[in-house]
Amino acid sequence: MNPKPQSQTVLVVGGGIGGISAALEAAETGCEVVLIEKGPSLGGRVAALNRYFPKMCHPTCGLEINFQRIKRNPRLKVFTMSEVTAITGGPGNFKATIVTRPRYVKPNCTACGDCAKVATSEVADAFNYGLGTVKAAYLPHAMAFPMRYVLAPEVAGTPEGQSIKAACKVGAIDLDEQPTHFDLSVGAVIWATGWQPYPATNLTAYRYDALADVITNVEMERLAAHDGPTKGQILRRSDGTPAKKVALIQCAGSRDLNHLPYCSRICCLASMKHALYVREQHPDAQVDIYYIDIRAHDKLEAFYRKLKADGQVRWLKSKPARIEPGADGRPVVCGENTLTREVYAEPYDLVVLATGMQPSAKPPMETAMDDYGFVVGHEGGVIGAGVATGPLDVSMSVQSATAAALGAVQAVRR
Amino acid sequence: MTAPTPSRTYDLSFARYVYDHIDGGQRLKLCMQCGACSGSCPIGTQMDHGPRKLFMMIRAGMKEAVLTSNTIWNCVSCYNCVVRCPRQVPITYILHDLSALAIEEGYAEAKKADNARFAKAFWWSATVFGRTDERLVTARYYFSSGLGEGIKKGMANQAIALAMVKTKRMHLGMPHKVKGVGELKAIVAKAAEIQARHGKEG
Repeated sequence: MNPKPQSQTVLVVGGGIGGISAALEAAETGCEVVLIEKGPSLGGRVAALNRYFPKMCHPTCGLEINFQRIKRNPRLKVFTMSEVTAITGGPGNFKATIVTRPRYVKPNCTACGDCAKVATSEVADAFNYGLGTVKAAYLPHAMAFPMRYVLAPEVAGTPEGQSIKAACKVGAIDLDEQPTHFDLSVGAVIWATGWQPYPATNLTAYRYDALADVITNVEMERLAAHDGPTKGQILRRSDGTPAKKVALIQCAGSRDLNHLPYCSRICCLASMKHALYVREQHPDAQVDIYYIDIRAHDKLEAFYRKLKADGQVRWLKSKPARIEPGADGRPVVCGENTLTREVYAEPYDLVVLATGMQPSAKPPMETAMDDYGFVVGHEGGVIGAGVATGPLDVSMSVQSATAAALGAVQAVRR
Repeated sequence: MTAPTPSRTYDLSFARYVYDHIDGGQRLKLCMQCGACSGSCPIGTQMDHGPRKLFMMIRAGMKEAVLTSNTIWNCVSCYNCVVRCPRQVPITYILHDLSALAIEEGYAEAKKADNARFAKAFWWSATVFGRTDERLVTARYYFSSGLGEGIKKGMANQAIALAMVKTKRMHLGMPHKVKGVGELKAIVAKAAEIQARHGKEG
């Protein structure tokens, strides 16, 4: 029998759908919960999705419900712009060090946007995967929670920073804010730091770097989103014309011993969803899906069957060998169709690489991990939740997070 | 050791032989038929099957079709497929070792495989002089299909030959040799002896 826990607080690291779910489930059983998020707002990768498969509903809807639950729960404290830099101890008695980066905008911000109006310089738009830029004083995205602006550190000490400060009617800008750190005693740690897309630049034969019209699946989500860089129009990156002939390439860096050896599990369905985005925008659009084999796991087979009925979506059983620049500048996908033995070279308006998921952060303490850096088990250490434990879709992430919350509640209520 | 000849069209004994005795054969088991190899091949359109399909034929036990295929001979060893193969199958090694097997078991002869005769001419020059002599390799290759055919091919390519001589890409004197041809021959003889002793495992 383990000794009685010293602290009954649960620390949740990562404010994506997994971390939010785990934090709420634990808080709603009556535990004190601290939720730490690295970025300026909650929602993680899910907030950046256009729509969910298989029901094609908008993630903002589900996030909104969760944000309401967070607001209503006095036991749940959220820290954005923060990272956990050290964890010591064990179940029942962890000590965590948290570092908070300056946001330069205080909680009394009303999100009126006056600061953005006077900001003159622009920074890369992280929420849109760098597909565009934002003003140096910006709201992370339209549905941001907390609904509070951020000031880019680049302008904090400049005359521009001063004019931004002067423009704020409620005096919410604090240009002297410094990084802070604090220690927390907690009884359980849920590690829900999620994933990052596998870098497409590593797939040299697909020339993501050189060809503007070769993009990744996460970028496609932003192109299709109404609040994205193209206001939801799926346009070619090179010349801004509509993409009417689109190739979706599966396993771009997944199931590949030279890159990610495992199957990332979500990409097949994500690409099928992308096929729908394109087909909905243009009745005459042609979508080609290049695949090794389709992995529509679990109940998602129905989505696959439905899309198969669309005559303008072609299915090519082939891992493309390379992408070349065509004479007209369009990307040309080259490879072998393994069902017909035909060696093809097909030009497209837009090529979307279904890059896989890799873990984004590892816990700052001894933790059992699998060969790929995903968190395994929780005996004596942190409890993994969501994609930090392996590639999962949103619903599976929520299931995993709920299981993690139960583990944490058991650990602090001994 | 001779590769087993299947009693039926489809027989696993040939596949097992390839896994165990062909260079890189063990990794061939990992092939997932994605087609990256055949799609990467600069002369993929010149192959009857391409590596991916050939590997499936091996699994299906189609020994004769595999060893008479032009795929094993048309590989130019560019290694594009090996670099891109998601299962790290050493495709080039496998194709080369299969062509050696095709010669060994007479399939190359029976098919009058052009590339097999060229490879033999090349090997002859490499082992006799330690260098490739363009003129002698070409002549040996041309005449390997008969006296009449050799003269015909030689005459047809006269202009190229003269141009090569003119630009010093081919010379007409005694063939160039490496120093210590005797030692080279001893090395080759030893290798042949080891191979004979151990069979393919050697």
